[in-house]
Amino acid sequence: MKGFLHNTWKHRAHFIMCIPVLLVLLFFSYIPMAGMSMAFKRFDFSKGIWGSPFVGLDNFQFLLASGKTFTRMTVNTLKYYAIFLILGTSLNIAVAIAIDQFVFKRLGKTFQSIMIIPVFISYAAVQFIVYAFLGNNGMVNNVLQFMGLEPIRWYINAKYWTTILTVVKMWNGVGYGSVLFMSVLAGIDQEMYEAARIDGANKRQQIFHITLPSLIPMTTIVILLSVGGIMRSDTGLFYQVTRNSGILYSTTQVIDSYILNALMTTSAYGFSAAAALYQSVVGLVLILIANYVVRKIEPDNALF
Amino acid sequence: MQNVISSRSIIKVRKKKKKGLGQYILALILGLYTLFCLMPILLVIITAFSDDKTIASKGYSYFPDKWSLEGFKYVFKYGRQLFTSYGVTIFITIVGTFFGLFIMSMFAFALSRRDFMFRKFLSMYILIPMLFPAGQLANYLVYTNSYKLKDSLLLLIIPLSVSTMNIIILRTYIQTSIPDELMDSARIDGAGEYRTFFQIVAPLMKPVLASVGFMMATAYWNDWQNALLYIDTASKNPLQLLLIRIQKNIEFLLNNKNISGAALAAIQQGIPEYSATMATVLTVIGPIMIAYPFFQKYFIKGLTIGSVKG
Repeated sequence: MKGFLHNTWKHRAHFIMCIPVLLVLLFFSYIPMAGMSMAFKRFDFSKGIWGSPFVGLDNFQFLLASGKTFTRMTVNTLKYYAIFLILGTSLNIAVAIAIDQFVFKRLGKTFQSIMIIPVFISYAAVQFIVYAFLGNNGMVNNVLQFMGLEPIRWYINAKYWTTILTVVKMWNGVGYGSVLFMSVLAGIDQEMYEAARIDGANKRQQIFHITLPSLIPMTTIVILLSVGGIMRSDTGLFYQVTRNSGILYSTTQVIDSYILNALMTTSAYGFSAAAALYQSVVGLVLILIANYVVRKIEPDNALF
Repeated sequence: MQNVISSRSIIKVRKKKKKGLGQYILALILGLYTLFCLMPILLVIITAFSDDKTIASKGYSYFPDKWSLEGFKYVFKYGRQLFTSYGVTIFITIVGTFFGLFIMSMFAFALSRRDFMFRKFLSMYILIPMLFPAGQLANYLVYTNSYKLKDSLLLLIIPLSVSTMNIIILRTYIQTSIPDELMDSARIDGAGEYRTFFQIVAPLMKPVLASVGFMMATAYWNDWQNALLYIDTASKNPLQLLLIRIQKNIEFLLNNKNISGAALAAIQQGIPEYSATMATVLTVIGPIMIAYPFFQKYFIKGLTIGSVKG
């Protein structure tokens, strides 16, 4: 202990340099964490968060009693998480391998640069673009009419939105996501490929026996990092792109967009606070489990 | 040995020539996917320069019958508000990015000192908020109800200024790319820790600061959620909030006049027009599109550093 104090004193300059970040996180992350106790309180604006009366588990009872809403947003959140993780990661890897194997390097670089661009467009702007395609006189309906088909009123038909949001998300994120995998591929020793070629391996065999296995550690990290966010969603995608339209909730409402909507429209926060706590706790438990499992199997790939 | 070298060089020569049919198919697929990424952005640009009445009657098109600058003229009718919003967005982007880079790189520097025993605690301290975030609701209540910061630009700046991932990127860069000997010799020459950091380490961190800075700047530029939750006054609306307000106006018009042919005509004369909206979108996303090519190199490097565990 004395050694520790001595060491900290010796490094007092370093300690002082840490203070700004320590304070920002204290006030903007840690104290709000304590604010999550709202889940057990009935919010009274005049008394503030800390003074509001405790109501025990009432909020959670409401949450469970709401049945349909609760199930719907949980199921949707998990559904989109699974789709985005599986499809997104596969496409990231596919694009990365495709560009890596591409002989025309300059063209490949240009393609990659363009693919990344969509990630820089905020969902507040993306919603206008989606509307230009799916609005009543949007591109897609124009094409449908051109082909002699009936135009579809996308914004009142919930059944299409799982696909629509998936396409938008892939458009937005795949180019960006592939960069990480590209960097791993660039690090593979080219001599391995040459050796394989000399031994008579064809392109497909090289990909399955050299390229894909070398991507496993990175894929594990990506999946691990995403597990903690299993209950969280890209709020903008679900709130902005769907224009927060109630007709579409059955396929588009996720926990995050539900909470944002509650914040914007009501002042009955207890219920949403319960949903938020549920979201955070599930996320934390899952990432701890996932990390534990990975550490058992392949310690090097664990997060912590 | 001689044999191996020569066979290798033969392979290399052969590899260079190998542009078989497969490569052209790959080019086609990648090209199509790139087009898929590009088309929506092209539509924004084309619509912004299209004649509004044509869109209203014939719908959006990549090949408008008539080009027009009306959309941009209309943007200037949002006029003052657009300029104010630009000012707000630029302000929070610049202040936030520099503030964040400044405090995070100092923290990362301390974290990279291997003999600093306190660093274990520091690592945990930044890891916990990532694993157990309070979430938007608790944030909202604490910021507005306890801190009384509602409608303050501080809420657009500070919460986004520190992120665990960025600190890890900065720390990894210091550990791997800046030799310890350099810092040691500075200390031997009598430079204190502050001087070592600001005069020796910080200048050498330029590449990583550029990449982290660019990522932070886009996060600030694109942040709509904090603005939507916290900002009320028009003079404090950033660009993204302006976009949301415009959309709300359109919605209002649509909901008032049940979508029909007559309504389309009404909207045509009404406030938000197709080309004007897209022109606004273009003015919002434009600056990042322009900055991106300059930062691309750093940006990709930054992503790569972040993936190295240290």
